[in-house]
Amino acid sequence: MVLKKSPLHEVHVELKASFEEFAGWYMPITYTSGIREHLAVREKAGVFDVSHMGRIKISGGDDALVFLQKLVPKELSKIGPGSMSGPTAFLNENAGFKDDVMLYNSGSEWYIVCNAVNREKILDWLNKWKTEWGANVGIEDITFDIVMMALQGPSSSELMEKIGLSKALELKMMQFHRNLESSYGKVFLVSRSGWTGEDGFEIWASPEVGAKIFKALVEYGATPAGLAARDTLRLEMGFVLYGHDIDENTTPVEARYWVWTPGKTGYIGYEALREVLRKGVDRIRVGVKMKKKVKAIPRGGDLVTVEGEVIGKISSGNYSPTMKRGIGMAYVDSKHALIGLEIEANIRGRGYPGKLVDFPILKK
Amino acid sequence: MSEIKVLGEYIILTDRKYMETDEWVKLEGDIAIIGISDYAQKKLKDIVGVEFKEPGTKVKKGDLIAEVESIKSRGEIYAPFDGEIIEVNTQLEDEPDIINSDPYGEGWLVKMKPDNPADYEKLLSPEEYAKTIEEREKS
Repeated sequence: MVLKKSPLHEVHVELKASFEEFAGWYMPITYTSGIREHLAVREKAGVFDVSHMGRIKISGGDDALVFLQKLVPKELSKIGPGSMSGPTAFLNENAGFKDDVMLYNSGSEWYIVCNAVNREKILDWLNKWKTEWGANVGIEDITFDIVMMALQGPSSSELMEKIGLSKALELKMMQFHRNLESSYGKVFLVSRSGWTGEDGFEIWASPEVGAKIFKALVEYGATPAGLAARDTLRLEMGFVLYGHDIDENTTPVEARYWVWTPGKTGYIGYEALREVLRKGVDRIRVGVKMKKKVKAIPRGGDLVTVEGEVIGKISSGNYSPTMKRGIGMAYVDSKHALIGLEIEANIRGRGYPGKLVDFPILKK
Repeated sequence: MSEIKVLGEYIILTDRKYMETDEWVKLEGDIAIIGISDYAQKKLKDIVGVEFKEPGTKVKKGDLIAEVESIKSRGEIYAPFDGEIIEVNTQLEDEPDIINSDPYGEGWLVKMKPDNPADYEKLLSPEEYAKTIEEREKS
């Protein structure tokens, strides 16, 4: 397979990034050190290239809204132009995750941001239902035309001012502006959002303008940050990663991922989701925090035990640069999903002490 | 100290020998010092934890003697020959990132007393190890 490269690839090469494959893309994993990049985001600001994220435009005015309403469990009618849905999902008929996504109401059209690993699957899914329902909507993949960057961290606002995007400062979380003029040209979209638990902005722009903005942000002091830091940042917040923490066989209920609006009916997966809610779940996603002295790091697939009994499995884990210890998330059977319960994570055949915690794992 | 630079990036010191699995081994008298190569630390990146087999443990060639955890993955360190672990670098338990900053010096992992010091000669020469890195990076 030929790996896809971000249109900003050359910028990362100049910044001496090291690259690795992620979801079919050859993306920056770190520039200097994942830990340093992580801490820069928590303490100051970091900038990520997230152009691998799938971006799909759904046009068709009211028909676009009607179409999407039938595909996601979150009520969209209250999401006005210039607002984002917050995390929601496309569910399959069993209420498993096709993908977790973010929707943007841009007036006459909507934008979907989906996981890179699911982009083609979601395009197929959208086209299938468009045909089935004879929906009068346009479905356009704009992933390769427009880059997406995430500026994250407490000093993001100051940096936005420096690149001529001070108008973005008026945005509240989950709001966006279209077609703002920056010091480096027009940007397609700026939202106040991210995936790190910090204040920040996501900027969509043409590759040319995007490259200038990325470089300018770095010159003004943002630390270029790669996917390694992005992973440890999201893990501290308990944000799920598709393919690790959720998949087609995971429902939002057991994932405790609040992607639906209670009372909404008539979307794909509704009947199954309702059934899960009525019956309850057998396993529950919780956080895992290792004891500080433990040097072993829990990883996806490691078993979680209590008194030698297996009660669950780590879905993703890593080192927390902020808390300086191993953390993770795990699905544990619902009888043992007790916050505060002391457990052992079975790492390479040995048990290491930790406990079950709620999200976010990092309490700020 | 002379060194080889592989692909303009990975440093290999010529005063010691290497293993296919990216450990370096340096003989000082009848004691072998073992660590991981610059190539290995660059591949692992941010190292955040180290664990050792207890000093005094008798090991066979290829046995696990230490493990390092990084943000990216887990690395396993194997015994280069039969022998006994006599010392481990406990400083790394608090400051594991020393392996990233000084893999060939302060970042050493384990000291072993080989049963048969002549086994040292069977390890890869710096040139041979350089070749294995080049081949891996090609594929």
